[in-house]
Amino acid sequence: MGTPTEEAMKAAILEKIPDAAVQVGPGSGGGHFTVQVVSPVFEGKSMLESQRLVLGAIAHLMKGDGAPVHAIDSLKTRTTA
Amino acid sequence: MPLSDQQRQQFDDLVKKSRVVLFMKGNKHFPQCGFSAQVIGILKETGVPFETVNVLSDPAVRDGIKEYSSWPTIPQLYVDGEFLGGCDIVKEMYAAGDLQKKLGVVEKPVATPTITLDERAAKAIKDADEGNGEHLRLEIDDKFQYELYFGPPQAGDIEVVASGLKVLFDKASAKRADGIRIQWVDTPDGGAFKIENPNEPARVKSLTVTELKTWMDEGKPFEMFDVRGEDERTIAKIDRARALDAAGEKHLLALDKKTPIVFQCHHGMRSKSAAERFLREGFTNVFNLEGGIEAWSQKVDSKVARY
Repeated sequence: MGTPTEEAMKAAILEKIPDAAVQVGPGSGGGHFTVQVVSPVFEGKSMLESQRLVLGAIAHLMKGDGAPVHAIDSLKTRTTA
Repeated sequence: MPLSDQQRQQFDDLVKKSRVVLFMKGNKHFPQCGFSAQVIGILKETGVPFETVNVLSDPAVRDGIKEYSSWPTIPQLYVDGEFLGGCDIVKEMYAAGDLQKKLGVVEKPVATPTITLDERAAKAIKDADEGNGEHLRLEIDDKFQYELYFGPPQAGDIEVVASGLKVLFDKASAKRADGIRIQWVDTPDGGAFKIENPNEPARVKSLTVTELKTWMDEGKPFEMFDVRGEDERTIAKIDRARALDAAGEKHLLALDKKTPIVFQCHHGMRSKSAAERFLREGFTNVFNLEGGIEAWSQKVDSKVARY
């Protein structure tokens, strides 16, 4: 189990991409995270489209000054593990 | 909150105010976030002119651009009115050469740098290699700060082999790496990598009192100046240090610009500004004695009075 924020991010991503394997871990500091998502849904999508899909899922956690998620240090989207 | 037509129109204009527009935190001279700074670094490498919009100076722009681009983070790069992406994507596009194509710049091929790895450094690296297919990477940023770590290969990497080891550089780092020497040295905190890089602009180097003692014991040629006044020098002084009075300064200015020169004071602050001053005079091998004569007395020679 990750921190509540990590779990919330994971849940939000899975809601948008149910077949995904999602890993969320701590990044370089408070509010910073690393995210890796593996799903066939990224097939044929550009990096921009793939990242937008994931970031869109967690956008509500990144909104405003007091948001629990300040930055994603590294976001990897892959079609296979 | 969805944008009104009027707001959308304002962003349509803003993203086209120049061919290349970066929405960032801070400005190109003082980026206020590491991700923004990285994108600035890349844009500078490409040499194209670009405009920046500081989202910190206007909350409406900060929130609006996220909505406009459907992208929740800053920085955001626009080229010809088209959203390219954030920091990760820009980095990857630059490494693969796609950004340069988009910007219409022809990149000069980066020459493979020549590097030297001493035997102990090579051994330390081999010992650290977990054999998981990751490679040794060396990143050198525009302030000549170094990061040496194991990581996956990336598009556009430049590969260098030294002492039988493969080292990967991204393009920007490779340009700053020709002639570097990586050593493994002993420090009071254990072994550490030391990187000497002839491409670094001259700056004041710091010298510890124990290093200074070693220099003296080994008879290394160097000059040393005490920037304190005669009043303080009467209380305590290091014999090797010449006073930086009028005569001392005359002596210093006549020295070869490559002479190693150590500056010393009471705690290391005044000597640092003196060192910086002589760096501006063109001296390239300038050291500041960290902790000054106080540290010398505590760690090397207790006969030197403390005050």
